[in-house]
Amino acid sequence: MSSIHPDQVTAERLAGLRSGANVPGADVNTGLGDGTLVEDPAVESPLVLGRRSFKDVTNIVCGYAENPAPLWWWLAFIPAASIAGLGTLMILYLIVTGVGVWGLNNQVDWAWDITNFVFWIGIGHAGTLISAILCLLKQKWRTAVNRSAEAMTIFAVVCAGIFPGIHVGRVWFAWFLFPIPNYNWIWPNFRSPLLWDVFAVSTYATVSLLFWYMGMIPDLATLRDRADLRLRQGTSKPLALAMPGGKALVFPLVKPDMIRAYVYGLLSLGWRFSSRHWHRYEAAYLILAGISTPLVLSVHSIVSFDFATSVLPGWHTTIFPPYFVAGAVFGGFAMVLFLLIPLRELLPNFKDLLTLRHLENMAKILLLTGMMVGFAYATEFFIAWYGANEFEWAVFINNRVNPAEAPYAWAYWTMIFCNVISPQVFWVRALRQNPAVIWVVAGFVTVGMWFERFVIIVTSLHRAWLPGEWGMFWPTWVDILTFVGSCGIFMTLFLLFVKFLPTFALAELKAVMPQADPHPDHHDEGETKRNPGEAF
Amino acid sequence: MTHVHVHEEHGGPRIESGYSGVVTPPPPAADHGEGPVMTDAAYQKYLDKLAAHPLLRDDNVRLAEGAGKGIGAVLMGVGLIGLALTVLLAFVFNTTHALAAYEVGVFTVLACCLGALFLVMLLNMLNAYWTATIRRQLENIASLVWVPWLLLLPVAVIEVVSGGVLLRWMGDEYAGNVLLEHKAAFLNWFGFLVRYAIYGVIWIVLANGVLGVIPGVCSLSREQDITGDRWLTRRARRMSGFGLLLFALSVPLASFDFLMSMDFRFFSTMWGVYIFAGAVMSAIALTAIVLSVLRTFGRLTGVVTAEHYHDLGKLMFAFTVFWAYVAFSQYFLIWYGNIPEETNYFLHRTTGDWQPLATIIVIGHFIVPFFLLITRKTKRNTLGLGLMGAFLLVMQILDLVFIIRPMVYVEPGVEGPGYVGWALDAVGVIGVLALFGGALIAKIASGPLIPLRDPRLAKALKHKNYV
Amino acid sequence: MASRLSEMKGMIGDYLPGLPRSAPRFVTEDGTRVFGVIATFSTTPAVVHAAELVRDAGYRKWDLNSPFPIHDIENSMGFRKTQLPYHVFGAAMFGVLLAAALQWFTNHFDYQTGEGFGYIVQGKPTSAWEAYVPIMFELGVLHAAFAALFGMLMLNGLPRWNHPLFSSESFLRTSDDRFVIGIEANDPSFDPEATKRLLEEAGAETVELIEEDA
Repeated sequence: MSSIHPDQVTAERLAGLRSGANVPGADVNTGLGDGTLVEDPAVESPLVLGRRSFKDVTNIVCGYAENPAPLWWWLAFIPAASIAGLGTLMILYLIVTGVGVWGLNNQVDWAWDITNFVFWIGIGHAGTLISAILCLLKQKWRTAVNRSAEAMTIFAVVCAGIFPGIHVGRVWFAWFLFPIPNYNWIWPNFRSPLLWDVFAVSTYATVSLLFWYMGMIPDLATLRDRADLRLRQGTSKPLALAMPGGKALVFPLVKPDMIRAYVYGLLSLGWRFSSRHWHRYEAAYLILAGISTPLVLSVHSIVSFDFATSVLPGWHTTIFPPYFVAGAVFGGFAMVLFLLIPLRELLPNFKDLLTLRHLENMAKILLLTGMMVGFAYATEFFIAWYGANEFEWAVFINNRVNPAEAPYAWAYWTMIFCNVISPQVFWVRALRQNPAVIWVVAGFVTVGMWFERFVIIVTSLHRAWLPGEWGMFWPTWVDILTFVGSCGIFMTLFLLFVKFLPTFALAELKAVMPQADPHPDHHDEGETKRNPGEAF
Repeated sequence: MTHVHVHEEHGGPRIESGYSGVVTPPPPAADHGEGPVMTDAAYQKYLDKLAAHPLLRDDNVRLAEGAGKGIGAVLMGVGLIGLALTVLLAFVFNTTHALAAYEVGVFTVLACCLGALFLVMLLNMLNAYWTATIRRQLENIASLVWVPWLLLLPVAVIEVVSGGVLLRWMGDEYAGNVLLEHKAAFLNWFGFLVRYAIYGVIWIVLANGVLGVIPGVCSLSREQDITGDRWLTRRARRMSGFGLLLFALSVPLASFDFLMSMDFRFFSTMWGVYIFAGAVMSAIALTAIVLSVLRTFGRLTGVVTAEHYHDLGKLMFAFTVFWAYVAFSQYFLIWYGNIPEETNYFLHRTTGDWQPLATIIVIGHFIVPFFLLITRKTKRNTLGLGLMGAFLLVMQILDLVFIIRPMVYVEPGVEGPGYVGWALDAVGVIGVLALFGGALIAKIASGPLIPLRDPRLAKALKHKNYV
Repeated sequence: MASRLSEMKGMIGDYLPGLPRSAPRFVTEDGTRVFGVIATFSTTPAVVHAAELVRDAGYRKWDLNSPFPIHDIENSMGFRKTQLPYHVFGAAMFGVLLAAALQWFTNHFDYQTGEGFGYIVQGKPTSAWEAYVPIMFELGVLHAAFAALFGMLMLNGLPRWNHPLFSSESFLRTSDDRFVIGIEANDPSFDPEATKRLLEEAGAETVELIEEDA
């Protein structure tokens, strides 16, 4: 037993000075990670570690938005924002110059742009999946990740929206996409998948935004009330910027709480935590979850229709809709893990809310969706042969698989390695419970899912029916920097989110904590508490 | 208007509101052990409580001795008569037609069993506590997967021996066809039989295991009824992970073998998913029927409640919509692409005589259940969900009719029997379904109606849908 | 009917500035309007138990404020299930029909009868319903989502950035870890003393009177 007083330990943990699983003396979980990796089917593992009170959870989560930004945040934000600026310059350059600055050509007329579009829109789907499908499946562990995943959805859709917007060349004619009659009284063609895309992506962006915002209303109200209380009680602190060496630069006259009370107050719409309101709120939330689920399916299905409605070998295949959805969820979960695992280390007490079991569950979903994607690859391959269409078969063998024939074979095999082979490590329990391993695999999967879209788009296009039409695609520096810039935009938005908005769904988190149970009709049973026996 | 006195001191104690890092005193030493393993003594206490639980008394969670024997025998009799009539009509009327009718029945039953097997494994993986009270019925259905597999044996034998009845590629009729020659590595009678055997091994082992050697997911659950060993739950979960992989490999291939290859020109990568979606939906439908019947006869009172029905109904709704999504996507992409090898499948079925059936399926398999199941009332009602289950099962049969029956009279110039043929269809389907129904009743009566000693059972009994 | 109408007018007056408000039932000694009484609790079971007592005492205009939605609260408080799903369903159907009408009009009707010209794409007739399905679905979802969020806000009377309850510091802790039951002075059963006593007997930790600013 440690000689440190438990109070001291808790204090240090709350201040973010100490990490660890439990108060000394109560630590019975040695050897099982942080105590959430429960194997006994009769025991439920806790969703929030460290026996937190509601107040602790409020303090931890609101602290991320209220405390001065730590140094690492600036070290990440400044480069990310600069890269975002660079990406914006590239877009500007493209618009003033023309799509000729990109590497696409007559043969490969969709390339980098649409690859990036599908990549980003796919990243977004994990957010909706976690919010919606896991909500419907009553997977309570989703509360640990849903908010940040939903935020990623929004930011990814922002990045995705850029590419189809700019790839049309003359962006000032983008209004042709909308059902506005032009001077020749020509309506948009509603039988074109590209127009469905416009509706699908804009609906998705809108609904995700509504869903995310609605989830945040109560938490924004919490931030508002905290700032308000501090102002009323005179405990509000002036603005302080973290400086190297643990010092802070203080501006005595600037009180962020005044801005907070105003801005969070405005955004929280006067939410006052009324049960009558909560009741309708929960109904609305469930409805939004219910309609978001088919929405996610439809959005990526419609994206897949862009390809699958054509008769191009490699594109026309009926499994595309569910296969794209599975791939999107796969890539999206990978991105969620890729960003949250470092955040777990960087933000104090994050590990109490995002436990090893949460990571393990998400690793399992990566394995599952990875297998689904692998299944789709295999089915496609099998049917390409079974369909007995030599062009279809040629796309698979000559354009993708065979290194001797296919100039893009490296892309295909990168995809197979990253998406199908690398997640297989998760069959081993020790590996799927190890954050470092999960992080590496998540990185592979993110790369692999980008290559999947590249393979689908470029390798199908670059060699069509006649050898005379064969060509190659290589990205230009503008292509590459635009994609890098979109990553910068994504990171910038995400870092701003981490700093200024509630990173966890506070109210939902509290609702799944054991104290939230209105009828805990069990008392002094000691060891059987939180075990199935409690249900009596 | 009344005046009230206002106290000077406003509010309660001063509220402390801090930034993060403000220390709250540690919570009092909580009495809940965060121990990863429960002691056996504590678990035994839980089991004792379960055993003494008033809802889990024998006349609520078990069928009476000999119950269902009569109706089971009647169903078996009907089944045998139906099958005999089918065989008779095969000789006097049309062999191909009789085989098609029989196959519609067999594949309906197989779909229910495979869908149930999938759901059992999925629910094990999800660790969803509320399913503890309904899982046994899914297991009962899944563990009968050997019945439809065995019923497929005559189909396989007839196809191979007679050189292709519905699977025309087996015969000499298309010998020399370029497409068929290309596909010969997959479409040959030997490979077909080998795969048929492998599917059987996979499904039956997954569901029932090999006696005394490998346990199956369904037999593990029954073993737990007797031993009360909670670690069996974890074992079932582990098995389910690998099981789902084998399932995902075998079911689509089986659907290619038996259904898609009826028209050997046709191909669709979605086919396996399409069959799978219908299978899971029909498994849920059959489970709802079984549970409704049991509840109507006074069993499972307070054990399977409106709350469980609500969630089962949600699953039913979800898979109805999922089926529609998959079916529409498949149809839509083929319609849009308009490539002859693919389009022929739908052209044949959405024009001419088969067009009305296509419309019925769109309306009955999606639109009607969508609007009925979206309401809370239908899902929470014993009769409502049971009837929806029956309705969807009929739709599943019609869907299989839609897949199989148009392949019977495909020779140019051959007129179908029209509505006269429907009698043969009915006889074939009812025969198989009744036979399976008899087997299912015997299976249900053979043990407890719920997993009596499941570690999550107590929590499942208290399950409630908020909102 | 008339009383119901004046009640509604009063409710609108409570919400929008500048409109006439109903007469206050209670005022303090210095003439400010009394909003009601709030009681604080610190655990979920305690507040749910108290809510059941308040419900059984026959109060109508009262509320329970909690940092998170409490399960099954509509039964403990005795109010009806929300009708929101029906609104959303209606909105979704409207969206579906709107999309169908839009596509049918622009791509079929207007090209058959209007000044435009029909164009056939990939051999698809202008009235091919299949191609209309994706956008019908999307607009249905879009309208449902709008109805869900804005319908919820409207039924809740939000946004409402100011409220008499916000004047209380102990009320502001409901966004953190406290539970509050507030009974409005407008409630016919409200009585300053009896209501306070009821709340105290129900286990309230503190009970305080809330005045309105204006």
